[in-house]
Amino acid sequence: MTRTDRPALRVDGLTVRYLTKGGPVVAAADVDLRVAPGQCLGLVGESGSGKSTLGLAVQGLLTREEQVATEGVVAIADRELDPGDERGWGQVRGHLVTTVFQDPMASLDPTMTVGRMLTWVTRDKQESLRWLEEVEIREPKVVLRSYPHQLSGGMRQRVMIAMALARRPAVLVADEPTTALDVSVQAQILSLLRREQDRLGCGLLFVTHDLGVARTMCDDVAVMRHGRIVERGPSAQVFDAPQDEYSRRLVASRLTLDTDRARPVGPPEPTVVASMSEGLAQPEPESLTRRWSAGELTWASFAAPEPERRRPPALELVAVTKSFRTGGLLGSREKQVLHGIDLTVEPRQSVALVGESGSGKSTILRIAAGLEQADGGDVVIDDRGGAGVQVVPQDAGASLTPWRTVEQLLLERLGNTPEGTGLTDAERSARIRLALERVALDPDQVLRRKAGQLSGGQRQRVAIARAVVVPPALLLCDEPTSALDVSVACTVLNLLNLLRQQLGLSILFVTHDLAAARVIADRVDVISDGRIVERVDAGDLSDSMTSAYGRRLLDAVLP
Amino acid sequence: MLRFAVRRLGSLVLVLLCLSILVFVLSRYGGGDPVRSYLGNNASASAVAAMREKLGLDDPMPVQFWDYVSRLLHGDLGMSLSTRRPVRAELADRLPATLELAIATLLFSVVIGVVLARVYALPGCFGGIVRFTLLGAASAPAFLVATAGVLIFFVQLGWLPVSGRTSYGPSEGLSGIYVLDGLLTGNLAYSWDALQHLLLPAFAASLGPGVALARVLADGLSTSIGSAYARTARSLGESERSVLRRHGLRNAASPALSMLGVQFGMMLSSLVVVEQIFSWNGLGQYLVMAIDRADTNAVATISLLLGAFYVVINALVDIALAAIDPRVRLS
Repeated sequence: MTRTDRPALRVDGLTVRYLTKGGPVVAAADVDLRVAPGQCLGLVGESGSGKSTLGLAVQGLLTREEQVATEGVVAIADRELDPGDERGWGQVRGHLVTTVFQDPMASLDPTMTVGRMLTWVTRDKQESLRWLEEVEIREPKVVLRSYPHQLSGGMRQRVMIAMALARRPAVLVADEPTTALDVSVQAQILSLLRREQDRLGCGLLFVTHDLGVARTMCDDVAVMRHGRIVERGPSAQVFDAPQDEYSRRLVASRLTLDTDRARPVGPPEPTVVASMSEGLAQPEPESLTRRWSAGELTWASFAAPEPERRRPPALELVAVTKSFRTGGLLGSREKQVLHGIDLTVEPRQSVALVGESGSGKSTILRIAAGLEQADGGDVVIDDRGGAGVQVVPQDAGASLTPWRTVEQLLLERLGNTPEGTGLTDAERSARIRLALERVALDPDQVLRRKAGQLSGGQRQRVAIARAVVVPPALLLCDEPTSALDVSVACTVLNLLNLLRQQLGLSILFVTHDLAAARVIADRVDVISDGRIVERVDAGDLSDSMTSAYGRRLLDAVLP
Repeated sequence: MLRFAVRRLGSLVLVLLCLSILVFVLSRYGGGDPVRSYLGNNASASAVAAMREKLGLDDPMPVQFWDYVSRLLHGDLGMSLSTRRPVRAELADRLPATLELAIATLLFSVVIGVVLARVYALPGCFGGIVRFTLLGAASAPAFLVATAGVLIFFVQLGWLPVSGRTSYGPSEGLSGIYVLDGLLTGNLAYSWDALQHLLLPAFAASLGPGVALARVLADGLSTSIGSAYARTARSLGESERSVLRRHGLRNAASPALSMLGVQFGMMLSSLVVVEQIFSWNGLGQYLVMAIDRADTNAVATISLLLGAFYVVINALVDIALAAIDPRVRLS
């Protein structure tokens, strides 16, 4: 019997429609899939491509949804089932097909110990212990008695994997299993998944938006867009020589440590091209697009002239310390999060601060933004006559008041600066339009829209426009691309770089993604446990980074 | 867990101390002259002065407070100026009555809450009508519900008694809680009669809290069965019923319990009114009479007692919360 004869998972003609008030929305359209035992098939695509819906459908998790209509057949280890009908799924779901979900914190019941959850699956405590050892959890006996919140993100995901594998399924679905984890544990979780899959010989359906992860993990990939599979084939083939137009764009948008920093990243984007034309000798979009595609367009061509007078640093932190107090009236504890941080951002300089969650990088950003007071040390900010500091947050959707229009949001910022208050209404309106154009938004389209009506990428751009409508002395970016799809992330990085050149901005960019850091920054500072452990030039990260933590971050950027 | 319980009970002592200071200050400056109300308006100036001296009302405030607390700790609650009996004796007679009503109200609230939580989750138009009606019922103050209950079940239908705690005399049991005493002494008819007397007042006081509880519980249930951990449970092959029982209820219990703790305060205050309406010879009735007659000893003691009820119940709620949800123990 060959691999192709008896697939672990077979999907034939699967169509999934979400019945919404505005009519049916097709999440998957006539999808066929085969996953052989021992094979890993990657399902890649951007948000809204239908990849997660497909992941749910093959486990029969859509059968109870009233607002969902399905067609087609799902077969798990030769058992044919209807993804829209609960009949027959009872013996299959949780037995022949199991899942590792994205966010292990939310996906584990917070009120139950690991032992209680795992033993429900294994039916035997010794077996639970054995599985915890199998997924390389140290001190399995302690973990068995622990609650999810007492474990690290990586440990939680290992527990999740143990629960999913304990019944030895024929098919394992992994739905973005490392997206919610720190990059430095990503590689461990992936190799664990791969090893266990080989050992059990189950088929693995790996749903991800991260092309790097798909490339390392999967034998074959299927690229999804708008519910359809637009291209499929062996990973190496799809990623090295994509045939489909969309796959090509997707692959081109991926950042690695070899991405050229001097030029715009990703394929040419019409809206970005439109905002580039200002102040150039050859401003025609066609020629810009051609030069971008040919790799002839460098950031240097957009640089604003150097100011005559040298300015002081935009941000200077000297020996800054900070600690937080936890606990109540009786028995409080103090935890030091910053130990003597020295950090300078020169005018027109861009510095990336990289570290994992809990390292203190967000606290530094909050101190620089004036949202938090340092306990000790000096914080000096060049105020540039009241322009102040502006923040582009990670979750722009939450940072914009949803019922205010884009115009109101930008006017508000304009009214809060000395520069803005001196303007006439006409001048203000012109400033706002210019700011929106700079972030590649059409003012006529978005000015009157409310923030809540915009897409994620649009909101992120509005947040940037609000931050730069009056050029701030310092722009603070808090993981502005980590929640975005790769193509949108490229656009945001390109826009930030463009603004940096045109306006001569100083930027402090907080991230855990070295590939993004190296594109946006001149210098990368690595922070670990509240101390800056390393400072390297962004130009040759891979060669000059020596700290243990820095090397781990480097390894996390998949080739 | 044990450490959390000890810490929580420790802070309870602090709260009780603050409460006693507050009650003391209010009783001394709350207006009304206890001596005048005791001796009458025609008493001579010298008699009043002698009485003030006897009650220690002319001592400096800290001395008075110290006296008050040390007598409190020895179980001496002073004389009730309105009934001319020791406050302690009055409480011994009336506390069981209020306890009986409070316990029944608490139980009714939980039952109403759990039953209505299911009705609340009903979809469609019928569910909407139910929710609307319940919201109306819950917004009605206890005295209105009580009056409506009297009109329907006593005046119209004649099903339930509406006055006092029993058709017989006081119980011969030890607890003073009539339903319980009847059961303990094997006198089931007595228990049944006491239960009938209990139904309307307890229902009147528990409708509002019960509906509030139902709303929180229904909300919590729908959140937790739609959560990521419920999806995980389903993906591991748990049935819908198991998801609801193992994960849904457990996670929805925390907000519902907190709600119950808050609602208990509301229940106590409506008990004062409800006892009045149903001639329930408990603390509430005593309190109303004592306020009327400027009986400061009685008012202070009952306030302290009701306040203590409230903080103790809430401490127990917190400890129960910590037992259900381990994350509470951290904060």
